[in-house]
Amino acid sequence: MSDTIHIQIDRADGALQRLIGLVERRGFFIDGIDMASEGAALNIAMTVRGRDAGRCIDNLGLQIDRLIGARRISNDAAFRSAAA
Amino acid sequence: MSAAAATFKPATEAAPRSGARLVVSTLEKLGVEVLFGYPGGAIMPIYDALAGSKLRHYLCRHEQGAAFAADSYARVSGKVGVCMATSGPGATNLVTGIANAMLDSIPMVCITGNVAQGVMGMDAFQEVDILGVTLPIVKHSYLVRHAADIPAVIEEAFHIARSGRPGPVLIDLPKDVQFEMTSEPRGIHLSNETYIAEGAVIAQAEAAIRAAKKPVLYIGGGAKISGAVEAVREFARMTGIPQVSTLNALGTIPTGQDNFLGMLGMHGTRAANEAVQESDLLIVVGARFDDRATGKLAEFAPHAGVVHFDIDPSEIGKLRKVAVGVTGDLKPNLEALNASLAAGPAIAVNDWADRWRAQSIAQAFDYNAPGEGVFAPQLLNELSKKAGPGFIAACDVGQHQMWVAQYCEFSRPQAHVTSGGLGSMGFGLPAGIGAKLAEPDACVVTITGDGGVMMNIQELATVNRFKIPLKIILLDNSRLGMVRQWQEFFFERNFSEVDLSDNPDFVKVAEAFGIEAFRIDSRDQVSAGIDRLLACEGPILAHVIIDPEDNVWPLVPPGKNNAEMLEGAR
Repeated sequence: MSDTIHIQIDRADGALQRLIGLVERRGFFIDGIDMASEGAALNIAMTVRGRDAGRCIDNLGLQIDRLIGARRISNDAAFRSAAA
Repeated sequence: MSAAAATFKPATEAAPRSGARLVVSTLEKLGVEVLFGYPGGAIMPIYDALAGSKLRHYLCRHEQGAAFAADSYARVSGKVGVCMATSGPGATNLVTGIANAMLDSIPMVCITGNVAQGVMGMDAFQEVDILGVTLPIVKHSYLVRHAADIPAVIEEAFHIARSGRPGPVLIDLPKDVQFEMTSEPRGIHLSNETYIAEGAVIAQAEAAIRAAKKPVLYIGGGAKISGAVEAVREFARMTGIPQVSTLNALGTIPTGQDNFLGMLGMHGTRAANEAVQESDLLIVVGARFDDRATGKLAEFAPHAGVVHFDIDPSEIGKLRKVAVGVTGDLKPNLEALNASLAAGPAIAVNDWADRWRAQSIAQAFDYNAPGEGVFAPQLLNELSKKAGPGFIAACDVGQHQMWVAQYCEFSRPQAHVTSGGLGSMGFGLPAGIGAKLAEPDACVVTITGDGGVMMNIQELATVNRFKIPLKIILLDNSRLGMVRQWQEFFFERNFSEVDLSDNPDFVKVAEAFGIEAFRIDSRDQVSAGIDRLLACEGPILAHVIIDPEDNVWPLVPPGKNNAEMLEGAR
């Protein structure tokens, strides 16, 4: 099953690479990615799918939330908001 | 007024300073006293600015040694460890040390030089995308593009490194940024937030603890990192709940305390593992259910609910479903729990605790082994007893690391410096250097093996250069002992590439580096050898010959649950 995660992250050296690397390293395929810049931020919609049943989308959201520079994160079910 | 005088700037306006000088002045402003590193082409402006500063730079002989020393300095001092290296090979040599800090959540700031921005991406000499290389193993990283950003970036890096769940932060500084002059550095405002769980969550945790009949407190390295040691001890004292510890948390509960059952996991005690397996509630503080601790995860503590305290919300529920997740700083949350528990009736788990205390005593590790050869566990136990409360063990990785964990006595978590998550051979010697500089009055002993010591043996030169009174015990079985042990049990005794019998004479090696050294060959030399080691005022190395066939017991085989421990004959 795929989920689409919406992420707003500071535009900085390595930001996109950091995000994509994290998602793949935590055991998810990236099936699609859309991105647009908005001021000093990147708005990213990423469609992901776990490699096996042990991969939890909620936990992935929390891992992304840990990234310094991650401003907002939500999936289609709006499982989490990192925004203050 | 002369024309020349008119060119002076007002006193309120700072004179332009180079990026390199801003690096040094910002580190000084942040209270850094000690840093470890190795110069090279792309970081020469910073080394130029370093001369004459208040910072004490320890020149290691390999960047990995510098990173490990900074890591260990942070573990023992509680401060942020700092290391520096040049671009390319200097930066890549830091990588293992950065990963080590990441896996064990150690606050560290690593500063690397890089080629000038104008040639970045052109495969310039000694150019490596170290920011890209280290992305998976840092808490955060920066590529600084303007000198004016340097103070803010460094301050933010220190803040990130030590706040929340600590970790390493990399700052990559192109050479042109180090040379760039600026008089208007960008400021920064950082807030120190404390994350405290809501009272209702603490109440849920308390209710679960009060309802449990067979609870076990499972302590991880986060207890030390968060400064929650006293709160953990108070919880243990107040409730009498049996306690187990991960490798990185040893010392949180002093060795020998009544209800402390020892380390759990692959080489843990039988009492610790069996109590966890039988428990109906695990109170987990600052631990992450590492596979070395849990064994086969699906069969770990099968009857237990979990109350999990952790600063990192992504750890809660990551590997084990929890009944109550308490996200936030351990110290205030545990203090709130303790206050709440103290206000209510006493926790009644005496029978459960008594049973495990008795089993722990009955199954205590055996210090006797047949023969005349040196029995490393006995030596290590005697060493820690004689060294006393000031003892700090800086371990390498392998069999001796597990023997230290099993047999040494620790009165505080800072006394046990070990590469837990990464398990990086070569850690011991530079870790000893970092620990001794962090606590000069402590009795710091590097405990290493013949495999591990060879991975950073060049740091003996650092020990000698700075006359660091580090004590080194080198347990030499002429083998890669832990690999040999696994090949014996799990690979049908196919001993592949573990023979190190062509090791150099380590006494001569140490002496060649200017370090006093001696050899211990037999059991009857052990006590006098330890006495000599401890009495020595300068650096000293004891080369201890042990049996190549000695194994670490007990052992949970890979893929098995923790109740399926193997006990071997010695």
